Amino acid sequence: MGQSRPPHPTYVLVVEDDPILMMGLVEFVEDAGCEAIEATTVVEAIQILEARLDIRTVFTDLDMRGSTAGMQLALLIRERWPPLELLMISSQPWDAAQIPARGVVLSKPFDRRKIVAAIRRFAV
Amino acid sequence: MKPSLIPTAVNDPSRLEALAAYGILDTPAELGFDGIVHLACRLCDAPVALVSLVAEDRQWFKARIGFSLGETDLSSSVCAHALAQPDDLLVIPDLAIDPRTADNPLVTGEPFIRFYGGAPLRTSTGLVLGSLCIIDSVPRPAGLTETQAEDLRALAKQVMSQLELRRALNNRDAMRAAEAQEYRAREALRDTQAAVANAAGDLEATLYAVVEGAMRAVPAAEGGAIELLVAGELEYRSVRGTLAAHLGLRVPLAGSGAGYSVTMRAPYLMTDASTDPHVQRDLIGTLQLGSAVFAPILRGDVVLGVLKLQSHRPIAFDQRDLDLISLFAGAATAGLTEAANRAETRAKDVYWRGLFDRLSEGFVVGEVVRDLHGRANDWRYVEVNPAWGELLGFDATSVAGRTVREVFPDLEDAWVDEFVQVVETGHGASFTRQISAIRRWYEGRAFKLDGDRFGVIFLEVTQRIEAEKRRTALLTLGDRLRDLATIPEMTHAAAEIVGRTLGASRAGFGRIVGDVEEIEIELDWTAPGVGSIAGRHVFDDYGDIRSHLRRGDALVIDDVTMDPRTRDDPAAMRTIGIGALVNMPVRDRERTVAVFIAHDDKARVWTPEELAFLRNVADRVEVSVARVRAEELQGVLNKELAHRLKNTLAIVQSIATQTLRGVTERHLVEAFERRVLALSRAHDVLMQKSWTAAKMRAVMEGVLVMQADLDRFALDGPDLDINPQAALSLSLLLHELATNALKYGALSADAGKVRIAWRTEAGQAATLVLDWTESGGPPVTPPTNRGGFGSKLIRMGLVGTRSANLRYHPVGLQAEFRAPLAEVQVQTH
Repeated sequence: MGQSRPPHPTYVLVVEDDPILMMGLVEFVEDAGCEAIEATTVVEAIQILEARLDIRTVFTDLDMRGSTAGMQLALLIRERWPPLELLMISSQPWDAAQIPARGVVLSKPFDRRKIVAAIRRFAV
Repeated sequence: MKPSLIPTAVNDPSRLEALAAYGILDTPAELGFDGIVHLACRLCDAPVALVSLVAEDRQWFKARIGFSLGETDLSSSVCAHALAQPDDLLVIPDLAIDPRTADNPLVTGEPFIRFYGGAPLRTSTGLVLGSLCIIDSVPRPAGLTETQAEDLRALAKQVMSQLELRRALNNRDAMRAAEAQEYRAREALRDTQAAVANAAGDLEATLYAVVEGAMRAVPAAEGGAIELLVAGELEYRSVRGTLAAHLGLRVPLAGSGAGYSVTMRAPYLMTDASTDPHVQRDLIGTLQLGSAVFAPILRGDVVLGVLKLQSHRPIAFDQRDLDLISLFAGAATAGLTEAANRAETRAKDVYWRGLFDRLSEGFVVGEVVRDLHGRANDWRYVEVNPAWGELLGFDATSVAGRTVREVFPDLEDAWVDEFVQVVETGHGASFTRQISAIRRWYEGRAFKLDGDRFGVIFLEVTQRIEAEKRRTALLTLGDRLRDLATIPEMTHAAAEIVGRTLGASRAGFGRIVGDVEEIEIELDWTAPGVGSIAGRHVFDDYGDIRSHLRRGDALVIDDVTMDPRTRDDPAAMRTIGIGALVNMPVRDRERTVAVFIAHDDKARVWTPEELAFLRNVADRVEVSVARVRAEELQGVLNKELAHRLKNTLAIVQSIATQTLRGVTERHLVEAFERRVLALSRAHDVLMQKSWTAAKMRAVMEGVLVMQADLDRFALDGPDLDINPQAALSLSLLLHELATNALKYGALSADAGKVRIAWRTEAGQAATLVLDWTESGGPPVTPPTNRGGFGSKLIRMGLVGTRSANLRYHPVGLQAEFRAPLAEVQVQTH
């Protein structure tokens, strides 16, 4: 798995308030050959984004406490950091119109292949 | 006495007849004749002078001087001898000597007359009626002087002149009397005819009038009666005059004049009862019968009886009287016959009229009304029967003569056009149509009568039509409620259906707020021109109408201006166009939670059927609203449940991968992850129908798309609704088959495909047969080991039937799975 890791790691900000799911998401990021930065709240995620400029992709759960927090974050990111890629997972369907541009929503339970493929695609 | 001395001329019938014709005998003294005898005495210087008329058996003196007797028998008559010498005077100088008079008692005894001189009273035809004579008590041998004889002759002529004059006067009076009698008879006949007509067939009245009239017309009649034919006898009825005492007397047909008249069917003149061959003797005495006339009275061809007039005198009647009473009997006959005809006609009329009146169907005779150009745009009631009035709610007695557009000002044109058409084409027409002004439906048939007239016979079918409308409305409502998804749509649809079905002006659905204090009315349906009352209203603003609704009773008001709950201040209702209303409560857990509302802008009587309909609609709406509410709630729950399930499955995946972190065979971990995913896909499909059912094709696609693009699969089979167990089983089975195909089979090659076909097989128990056929992949060899969980799952088959037939053909795997259809398919009821 790590054999083709590029010399400069690609950072993926993982936003997830459930610790078990966080472990799963981080594993997907690592499977894709990227480096995961963890944020357990939206506020923390924004602080990280404001502090770091080397993050390429934000990987967020849409089913966090506060129900719409994940999507609000995604919309905020698209507005404030347009170059960032957005990968989202959700247990419920979303209308295409609700999803920020270039964003990808994948469903729960996880389809490892699709998630990893999406992270890799954004990492390039 | 020597009667032979009396001259035969005395008994000459033509002389006697002529004498009778003067009508002079036994009449009182008259000045004209008295003057003549006075002159005769003076001129002849005689003590006695007489105007003597010689009858058959006596001589009678019209005038006399000096003679005490008014008449004498012929043996004492000298004048009789005058008849023997009509041409000249009879002068007997000494009666005591003359052989014709020597024995005359008046000569031989008192008054001892001795001289007679008489001039004959001779008619123009030469007949001698008697004489004008002078008598002296002493003989006159010289007789009369020439002068005296001349004078006497002249005076005799004078007597004749007097007699002629008198007879002329008498004749004139008699003619007048006859005319008067004729007139009276005619009057009597006319009165009788009028009375008979008035009697209009009443037998007693007719007979009375006829007897009365006949008595008036025939003065000789002293008694009158109708002898009515009763059981072979004649019974006295309408008795008058001398017969008044004989009411009810019965006489036989054979043995009475009336009987004879009946038998002969002809009038009969009984000249003299004493000699009449047809009358019983005893009857003559009983009835004091002298003579009579009879005329039969008929009704139609039947002899009813006989009109009879009678007199106690014989020969009281003549042919003229017979003719008269025939006229009266004829009047009775005509009257009774006409009355009988009229009665028959009337009986027929009464019969048909009775049918017309008793008919439960309405019946109208109408006549098309045309304008100057002959165009018809209205028709007039000629006649209607009582049922018409009942069926239309109008006074049937006052409608004749009015036009239908006058009676029903807003009438539909079809009510005129169709009947005009019937009149113009002559073809009858059937109709089922409403008079909307009175909200009533009629079914009937119109047909042409004569000219511009037509008849209509019809029944009211309002109840049937409205019941049909309500039934149809409920069906439509059921469909609409099933198809509509939101509560406002449902209540509005129900309001429209109610409004149109009841012909109401407004209908709506309102939610009760608080303890029946206010109502929130949703978008209501209104008839054209009627305003909406959607929004919030306070019940107490409209009268005392809360308590019914709180109890859960329907609030039914036929007329807001009359109903005790609203009449004190109907203005609140009237300003929003309410004349009559129904609020049908919808109850939930013993509380009134909503009402279904129907308004009419005019007063109207809400029928029990209409209220039941409203109750039904309110119930259905409430059931549907509850269903929608439940579904909405269910949907929220389902989404939440699906969300939690999928999130939990994701956590399970995470736990598993973290737990198995040290496991080096990562493909086994991934296989687990993907089986969880396959299970989740089945749930996705099931969730769409609240986990009650899933579309078979959607289930298949959901799981297959995880493995490869859907164009690698050919799906062929009926899109069955399958139950949740079958959906999960099918998902996992297809997942394993596809996983294997991807690893070893058709899907491992670019060109490889899988055909999935399924069908149902009829039989004792219907079976679902699913075929999985791979092609285009590398050559296949059967697996050498029994395999792991995946292989087991495949061998378990669909819903655990273990009916799995796997054939590893070199061209590709072919598998057939069978399961009872009943265990796969959702049971539809």
